[in-house]
Amino acid sequence: MVAVDIIFAPIFLSALVYFLTRGAQHITKYVALAWFVVLFIISLNWLNQIMHPESYAFAPEVLQYIKATGFLPLGEFLSVPAFGFSLTLQIDALSVAMLLLTAGLLILVVFTSWEEKNQAAYFSLLILFSGPIFGVFMTTNVLWFFMFWELTLVPMLFLVGFWGAEGVEIKKVFNVEIKLPSKVYAAIKFFLYTHVFAMFMFVGFFLLFKQTGYWDITLIKEATLATPALIWWLMFLGFAAKLPTFPFHTWLPDAHVQAPSSISVLLAGVLLKMGAYGLIRFTVELLPATTAKFAMWMVVLGLATTFFAGLLAVYERHIKKMVAYSSISHMGLVVVAVATMSYDGLSAALYEMIGHALVISPLFLIAGWLHHKTHTWYMDEMGGIMKYAPYASTTFILAGMAALGLPGTMGFVGELTIIISSVKAFGWWIAVIALAGFISAGYIIWAVRRAIHGEPSEIVKKANFHMSFPEKFALAVFSFLIVYFGVNPQPIFDIANKAFSFFGGM
Amino acid sequence: MNNAVYILLIAPFIGAALAYILGKFKQPLAFWTAEITGAVLFLASVVIFMKYSNVPINFDLNWIHYGNFTIPFGIYIDHLSIVMLLIATGLGFLDIHFAHDYMGEDPDQPRYYSKVLFFIGGMILLVITKDLIGAFVGWEFMGLASYALISFWYYKKSAADAGMQAFLYTRFGDIFILAAIALLMIFVGTTNLVQLNHLADAGQINKTLALVTALFVFMGAIGKSGQFPLYPWLMNAMEGPTTVSALIHGATMVNSGIYIVARMFDFFAYTEALFIVANVAALSAFIGSTSALVQKEIKKILAYSTMSHLSIAFVGLGVGSLAAGMLHLVNHAIFKALLFLAAGAVIYIAHHTKDAWKLGGLIKTAPFLALFFAMGSLSLAGVPPFSGFFSKEMVVSAAWEWGNGFTATLVTIAALLSIAYITRLWILIFLGEPRNEDVAGSVHKPSNIWMRLPLGILAFTTLFISIWQSDIVHYIVGKEVVEPEVEGLTAFMLTSMLIIFLIVVGLYVKGLNLLYKIASHHFVQTIHQVLFNGYYVEAMITWISKNIFVNAIAKAARWFDTYVIDYMVNSTVAMSLYTFKFFKMGHSGRIGTYMGQMVIGVAIIVIAILIIVKGL
Repeated sequence: MVAVDIIFAPIFLSALVYFLTRGAQHITKYVALAWFVVLFIISLNWLNQIMHPESYAFAPEVLQYIKATGFLPLGEFLSVPAFGFSLTLQIDALSVAMLLLTAGLLILVVFTSWEEKNQAAYFSLLILFSGPIFGVFMTTNVLWFFMFWELTLVPMLFLVGFWGAEGVEIKKVFNVEIKLPSKVYAAIKFFLYTHVFAMFMFVGFFLLFKQTGYWDITLIKEATLATPALIWWLMFLGFAAKLPTFPFHTWLPDAHVQAPSSISVLLAGVLLKMGAYGLIRFTVELLPATTAKFAMWMVVLGLATTFFAGLLAVYERHIKKMVAYSSISHMGLVVVAVATMSYDGLSAALYEMIGHALVISPLFLIAGWLHHKTHTWYMDEMGGIMKYAPYASTTFILAGMAALGLPGTMGFVGELTIIISSVKAFGWWIAVIALAGFISAGYIIWAVRRAIHGEPSEIVKKANFHMSFPEKFALAVFSFLIVYFGVNPQPIFDIANKAFSFFGGM
Repeated sequence: MNNAVYILLIAPFIGAALAYILGKFKQPLAFWTAEITGAVLFLASVVIFMKYSNVPINFDLNWIHYGNFTIPFGIYIDHLSIVMLLIATGLGFLDIHFAHDYMGEDPDQPRYYSKVLFFIGGMILLVITKDLIGAFVGWEFMGLASYALISFWYYKKSAADAGMQAFLYTRFGDIFILAAIALLMIFVGTTNLVQLNHLADAGQINKTLALVTALFVFMGAIGKSGQFPLYPWLMNAMEGPTTVSALIHGATMVNSGIYIVARMFDFFAYTEALFIVANVAALSAFIGSTSALVQKEIKKILAYSTMSHLSIAFVGLGVGSLAAGMLHLVNHAIFKALLFLAAGAVIYIAHHTKDAWKLGGLIKTAPFLALFFAMGSLSLAGVPPFSGFFSKEMVVSAAWEWGNGFTATLVTIAALLSIAYITRLWILIFLGEPRNEDVAGSVHKPSNIWMRLPLGILAFTTLFISIWQSDIVHYIVGKEVVEPEVEGLTAFMLTSMLIIFLIVVGLYVKGLNLLYKIASHHFVQTIHQVLFNGYYVEAMITWISKNIFVNAIAKAARWFDTYVIDYMVNSTVAMSLYTFKFFKMGHSGRIGTYMGQMVIGVAIIVIAILIIVKGL
């Protein structure tokens, strides 16, 4: 019952917390923190159960099931026998890795938004967000997956739209002028974009049911499908827009830039991972034969994403947009790794997903923080920040080094494993993705040169670079994790190897 | 002995952290932590050197198991590694010692020593790892440390630019190594450097693959060791503190490219790659030595000379003589560290004046410094009995014996020109009258223990290491080396050097007026400009990266993103608006419109029913 509770409890909890703490706003964040810690501990426990099922007192048939499928069954709820439809909760190593990442990021996000405005509403929305996002990773029922997928958008819409940065967006298309506050523009664009593409996915899910009679992905067999190609493309579009891959990426820079930094962390760290998770779960695992047929498309899209976004980042003056493009660029690598459809490639993809979340988060946090302090977005108007804010600058450089794949950080391990796996899967020519390491060096080092090094500008001299302790703490945790898992990546690869061992090997 | 290996692996990083933390607590502690760590590292290297018993130290560790792959992280220490270890830790220790005075007034000492120790850690990692992956880790650590130390004074525009340039140039070479790792891992099945040599010896690797990967690794070496065309960063790297230039950009890091080629020597020899190595290096040697002739700043002259001498070592490897190349690497590391530190002392006592033309007559104030500088210069110039003579001679003879006239001519010219630029530099600094009043007035003596002692040790070493030249060769190569003999070469070299020496002395001591007259000639000035700007390679690379990469390709991507992709996304707003307006036309409020619509609607329904009923 714990499983279904932690998905639906946040709906009530958030409303309750909001009304109870509206008068004493400083309390809300402690409630949120406590809730996220509970989620983290529960996830850790599940991880243990999946990694070492023998040491738990499972019934023999459950143990048998875990060993055969890799899934830990958490029960079936809300059954509708007439349609063979129920909320089936079961998690494997891949889901539990995502759950741990989500819970961990949520905890850190509480620290980074320690001084956010209007706290009761803000943290209630965060609690509300934690429910459906857990649901996405926990259910194997496609329809419930879709519902949770859509529900995660709702709190995000408000978090971006209300707490976002100031500014006005004016766009002119075909003589129609769009004039909106930037944050509203970004929030609506984010919502509609992912929602519209989720509709393709939705149709794909219904086709799955129509052609097999099952809602549950562990029961669906690819061979029984009448039109696997159509279903594959419908689902792929939904995930591709979420990831995002070229050319469905334009919502991301807007949403990430306008969102408060902490929400950018969630968007990049968790919401993008939903796309990658879906890609692995619903294309590679569910429809392997069809995926193999279209793998080259995925590789081409992944490479295009990596290089196109990398080039955009090189040309960008806007510090947070630069980070956003860098984020897209790294997700392109994940797509290439997923497309290898091999044991090692998928493990590398999972590692890179986690690495990307931990690396890109401090970059977003510091970019947002710099804007908050200097009131400018443009790197060439900053300069010499190292002198005034050494702590933030050093963290930025460390995370930047990880983003460009310097050994000793998570970025290097991800890049190395991905390039090895993809050369194995696609041949020598794919070694060209090593070039991504140079492009990322280009934008990161240039950003450091413009914003952090150099002579202090007038704007920087006037700014007051105070950073609160919780923010410092969160950055320290990120830095520690980047280096720790960069030097000792085996714990993550143990989970990854467990998750994908069915793909040959072992 | 295993303990010594662990100390070498871990101590630099612990030392780096401690130096920073303790230094924040109390400034001088940073220096002492670094000094002690440096001494410990050198001692550990010496212990390994003494106890080494002809069996390579070999650890096989695994770093990552992912999927069906295992990424190894082995340690392999043989004679080659020990030589590199002694150079890295020995020079590192002396350099830290020297920095006590040189960096003594800097407020950021904790940061400085921490970065230097981190660098030494990277260098140690590079030379003791068994796999290309481990070597790449050390390689990139050094790149990071070099970047951080060049930009040490990050608030200076020139230093910040130079750091960025150094990182990007070397990184461009490095990604080829990353690609080579992936190719070797898949198509050969190992990145183990020792095993690659064995496989190459046995002829079990596809030749094309071996050539491509060898060239990729050499591309990394080009970036790191400042070869054509990726050398301009090395000259701008002189923006960093001189102690950094001495250690990283003179004596140790820039050798790593030569080291990696030497480490994979059989693999390189198996392919045609050595031919390319030799020719690229010969060209770089020529570029470096000619450009060094006309530079004004002390450190730039030394930087170009570094480039040229690294190339000479590369030529040694390229023409197939591992012994000659490595011997020159060892000798060069010592005399170049000496020269850079001596230059640092000059710059220090002249209050950070780097322009050689502003100095002069320093021999009166600092006679010992002049002597040590002269000893380094003689070694660099290749005057017997200094060590530089032997190795340079060996490389040049090997080049002539190899039989490619182009390569041999270029490297001979480069070898001969070194006496010209170093004599010129020495005369400008130490002889004549002070050329700048402000500088001359404030010159003071260097301190004994912090500055003269390390210089003395290095000067002594560069002279007396000549005795053991053949032992070093034997130690590294492991077998007796037949020294290449080209008849009359030594005599020719020495005579030419004497003539060049006399010309330079004549021009710079007695004939400055004549020199000015020659220099004012239009044609000479053009050549001077080309040489002074390093053959405009930097300008060309900057132009390409700025105008083609950033302002054409990246800008086009940006345009496409904004005006095609995002425009299409935003146009959905306009499209829905127009669709809405189209249907709104029906709501005109006039009876006639509604009647018309009703008629059309009824007609459609009737036709539909008819079609269905009539049965299609």
